[in-house]
Amino acid sequence: MKLYSLSVLYKGDAKVVLLKAAHDVSSFSFFQRSSVQEFMTFTSQLIVERSSKGTRASVKEQDYLCHVYVRNDSLAGVVIADNEYPSRVAFTLLEKVLDEFSKQVDRIDWPVGSPATINYTALEGHLSRYQNPREADPMTKVQAELDETKIILHNTMESLLERGEKLDDLVSKSEVLGTQSKAFYKTVSTQHLPPRCSLQRTVAACCFWHSLL
Amino acid sequence: MAETNEEVAVLVQRVVKDITNAFRRNPHMKELILSGTLNPIKDLHLGKLALTKFPKSPETWIHRRWVLQQLIQETSLPSFVTKGNLGTIPAERTQRLIQEEMEVCGEAAGRYPSNYNAWSHRIWVLQHLAKLDVKILLDELSSTKHWASMHVSDHSGFHYRQFLLKSLISQTVIDSSVMEQNCLRSEPALVLPKDEEAAASTEEPRINLPHLLEEEVEFSTDLIDSYPGHETLWCHRRHIFYLQHHLNGSQLSQAMEVDGLNDSSKQGYSQETKRLKRTPAPDSLGLEMEHRFIDQVLSTCRNVEQARFANAYRKWLVTLSQ
Repeated sequence: MKLYSLSVLYKGDAKVVLLKAAHDVSSFSFFQRSSVQEFMTFTSQLIVERSSKGTRASVKEQDYLCHVYVRNDSLAGVVIADNEYPSRVAFTLLEKVLDEFSKQVDRIDWPVGSPATINYTALEGHLSRYQNPREADPMTKVQAELDETKIILHNTMESLLERGEKLDDLVSKSEVLGTQSKAFYKTVSTQHLPPRCSLQRTVAACCFWHSLL
Repeated sequence: MAETNEEVAVLVQRVVKDITNAFRRNPHMKELILSGTLNPIKDLHLGKLALTKFPKSPETWIHRRWVLQQLIQETSLPSFVTKGNLGTIPAERTQRLIQEEMEVCGEAAGRYPSNYNAWSHRIWVLQHLAKLDVKILLDELSSTKHWASMHVSDHSGFHYRQFLLKSLISQTVIDSSVMEQNCLRSEPALVLPKDEEAAASTEEPRINLPHLLEEEVEFSTDLIDSYPGHETLWCHRRHIFYLQHHLNGSQLSQAMEVDGLNDSSKQGYSQETKRLKRTPAPDSLGLEMEHRFIDQVLSTCRNVEQARFANAYRKWLVTLSQ
């Protein structure tokens, strides 16, 4: 079971701002790591954008699960994990991180922050410690707190998109993805898919991580 | 490694360009090894590197087994050393080979989920290099425990634990004729007796089979509670339950169908389920405990899949007593 990334974001009215992120891309092959990292940031931002305040959701895509918690005060967290990692622990982690973050970083800094300007250093440590869920948190505590029925489940990334919206467009417009990542995404999505209906293509194009492995 | 530049270039090119054929259909390569021109240890090393990029590659694993066979046969030193009346232990060189293979398999298993090829190679090594040496089996059981707990949907990883336990059962039966007698008397605690032979050999591990199986059940309970909704964990529990009840039943020898053990590397699930259905009537205490466990899971779980697996397990238990 594995955690790949942990991010803190701010859901502004106009756009979603990344405040801080930690990644573990050691399981990806060396040359793909920076692209994977960019895609994870891209995905985290997209998920927060499409989630309402005061909600928790889990978005499934192939063997990955993206867990998101958007607080009522617009502070949000996303953890990207594999499908073995227990989601209860993922949500516990998000709760804990956002709570800590909000105490250490002034609210006034959130809407205009960036990883370079935000002073919060605990994220890497949390990501590393939580790689082993049982060491990080006793299970009994987790069971008591969270009402799992309130967590929205999405079976694909595609279900987050608007009708007619294409992931390809979002990728090419993205400010977060570098040219190389965008080029790579394009290669992946054109080569590996049957040239059938665009809906299928959009859905299948979400498997960019899977193909990067 | 002091290969010539050309050697390295050719080998690397072969592997990276075409992993499928790099180790396959290569009579020339085999001649080189057999004639002593190409060092088999280096070949194993190359294979290890290849597996970091292609952890499943069947050809690489197949070739690896061929090379290991050559290594076992070629040496003039015995690959095993006798110790008293209780059989043999692997010589140091073989031990090192075994350890290396365990490591290579472990790494490959981590690189691809449910890497059947890696795990079945691991089993092959235990059968053919380690000859199912009990100490090695016990070591493997404890050293793979943490890995299994961190890969709760890796069916091949848990199947490996089942293989280890089955082998420990069979090896204990073969080693001691007293075991057999105990079994016929339906002795509940099957422990290696502290007889003279065992005492003479300080290295002989005392296996408490019921205890090992109990520990595995506890491990299973712990994982099922901590990680709800993983079918692999429930499948594993069925296997352990089955092994426990074969141990308690008087049909111990029947359970040790040798071909069944050798086939454990064939992951024929249908074969396994057929065997699972032919168990003798399990003891009522064991059944009762399992039903209580299921009740506990169903009353506290909030995961739909978990409830489904718990109910399926209950149904399976019911079919056993029919």
